[in-house]
Amino acid sequence: MMREFKFMLRDKAVWVWLSLAFVFSLAAVSLGLNEVSQQNAEIAELKQLDRAERRTNLAAQADWGSAAYYTFHITYDPPSDFAYAAIGQRDVSPWKHRIRMLALEGQIYETDANNPDFALVGRFDFAFVASLIAPLLVVLLLFDLRSGEQVAGRLRLIEASAASGAKLWWSRAGLRVSALAVALCVPLIAGGLVSGAPILTLAFCVGAVCVYLAFWTMLTLLLAPATRTGAYNLTTMLGTWLLLCAVVPAILTQLIERVVPLPDGGEIVLAQREAVNDAWDLPREATYEPFLQRYPQWADHTAWNDEDGFEWKWYYAFQQVGDQTAEPLSQSYRVGQARRDELARWSSLISPATLMQRTMERLAGTDMQAAIDYEQDVRQFHGVLRDWYYARLFKAEVFDADVAIETIPTFDPVGR
Amino acid sequence: MTAIVVQDLRVSRGGTEVLKGISFSVDPGSVYALLGGNGAGKSTTLLTLLGFLTPDSGSASVLDNDVTQCVSRVRQQIAYLPEAATLYPHLNAYENLEYFLDLAGRKTTQLELDQALDEVGLQLESRSRHMEDYSKGMRQKVAISLAILRETPVLLLDEPTSGLDPVAIDEFNALVRNLAGLGKSILMVTHDVYGACQVANRIGLLRRGQLVGSFDAPAGERIETDRVHATFAERATA
Repeated sequence: MMREFKFMLRDKAVWVWLSLAFVFSLAAVSLGLNEVSQQNAEIAELKQLDRAERRTNLAAQADWGSAAYYTFHITYDPPSDFAYAAIGQRDVSPWKHRIRMLALEGQIYETDANNPDFALVGRFDFAFVASLIAPLLVVLLLFDLRSGEQVAGRLRLIEASAASGAKLWWSRAGLRVSALAVALCVPLIAGGLVSGAPILTLAFCVGAVCVYLAFWTMLTLLLAPATRTGAYNLTTMLGTWLLLCAVVPAILTQLIERVVPLPDGGEIVLAQREAVNDAWDLPREATYEPFLQRYPQWADHTAWNDEDGFEWKWYYAFQQVGDQTAEPLSQSYRVGQARRDELARWSSLISPATLMQRTMERLAGTDMQAAIDYEQDVRQFHGVLRDWYYARLFKAEVFDADVAIETIPTFDPVGR
Repeated sequence: MTAIVVQDLRVSRGGTEVLKGISFSVDPGSVYALLGGNGAGKSTTLLTLLGFLTPDSGSASVLDNDVTQCVSRVRQQIAYLPEAATLYPHLNAYENLEYFLDLAGRKTTQLELDQALDEVGLQLESRSRHMEDYSKGMRQKVAISLAILRETPVLLLDEPTSGLDPVAIDEFNALVRNLAGLGKSILMVTHDVYGACQVANRIGLLRRGQLVGSFDAPAGERIETDRVHATFAERATA
């Protein structure tokens, strides 16, 4: 083993590929840490601004209805300590919403996302390097391992000299790929120590990288025999890489999207908005009836007369009904998302690159499930906010800005 | 114990029968030269003895080890010198020798390396240079010293003098005779009639996978070159 290690250190091509792996990994980890740091800083700033703005807004109001209307609440999904390694869905799914007491579904689905052009290009994070670039480096390190010796006229001499030819090739390949794993994982671990990622998560991720590299090593040794030329082996392996890392995932994504169609986010927003807008022209019974089915505890506080003028409690009741109207669409959107995610999970078993990427996103808490969980947290918080305001609106409590500032619920992501 | 025994050996490569039932043996401390033109089956014979090719029928053994059953043990007994052996160009002569000897499980000292390189006549100042700067003859000398340093009882030499200048060929022939004198059993394949007659105790003429003639050296003498040459011209290249 020491002989092969010294031999490997003298190979300039190995140094080039290992250096490249280290630079890619270092760049990916640095960019990931920077992105996570920016997101954390943005959350900290938004929380501060949110608190100050809410205090100002509440102090300027005269009743609970206006307070609910003008007061916003920041909700957010803080990145995990391991998110630097896999930004995942945080590129395409919102991780912050600024919401208020109006109908929620529209606020969720009309939210701004990051620049979609960036999302299209994808993120250069460690998950990208590990799942897509690392297999290429394995191929480049190993495609010519035996065929290069054959072309140079050394293969017979080597195999006739070695006690075990198979052991020699495995140890050569093993050393190169182990060195690649080290070059990839050193920046990852350093990043983990900087960000405070759990040791167990780091260890699991390193293990996953090693298993993935071992898979590509076996594939390369199997598909790149000594009897073929290096050019033939390289072409075969690049074709295999393209198939497994690009073509198969793309086909699977297309298939899943066809098998599980999703309502458009815009449809949900439209359904909710139309319900809210229509309510202005409908008899109040049309609003209160479905509202009280959901909140029967306020039945004794909703005596109405269609001749009455504007009432905040009626206004918020039809906001609630707007959400109830959009609920089936929203529910089917969420169920569809979860179904697509489930299918993607199973189909990743035939797409190693996707499996690797999903594993890392799961470890980092940046996968689709994490995005769905965050959305649910926002709904839950909005429910708490509704309960808090309804108690004051329907009981017609006198507005007290100081009490409002002190007791109004705030979003707490702890436990996620 | 006979060093190499080949009995009615038939070997095919790519669907074509290359060896068509050849038989010969190599005694300990002797040199057997398989002489033949291009495509006669000389290298195929060596590759079969090394276990790289599987015979269709017949048998081959090295020091009583069947080459199909005991590949690893057979290879431990053989030092193989391929035709135009290319060692690692980014290593020098010492590093190449150390690498390949370590591969074969043999540790050597610097003195042993220098003695072997002295024996093949590689200049001292060349030994620490990367082999990418070596001529073909210099590379061949390092490969020969590797075969010597393996210290195996059997040597298989594939066109060993290819690329060597006349002086180096004479030195090499003397070296081969010396090794045989030390008890080594040597099988060399060549198309060099003169060289074969200089070193071999026995010559087999190979033509299209068949042995078409053989010559034995009388005790204490060399095989007559003119006789072999005439037969070679008549039978082996017909």
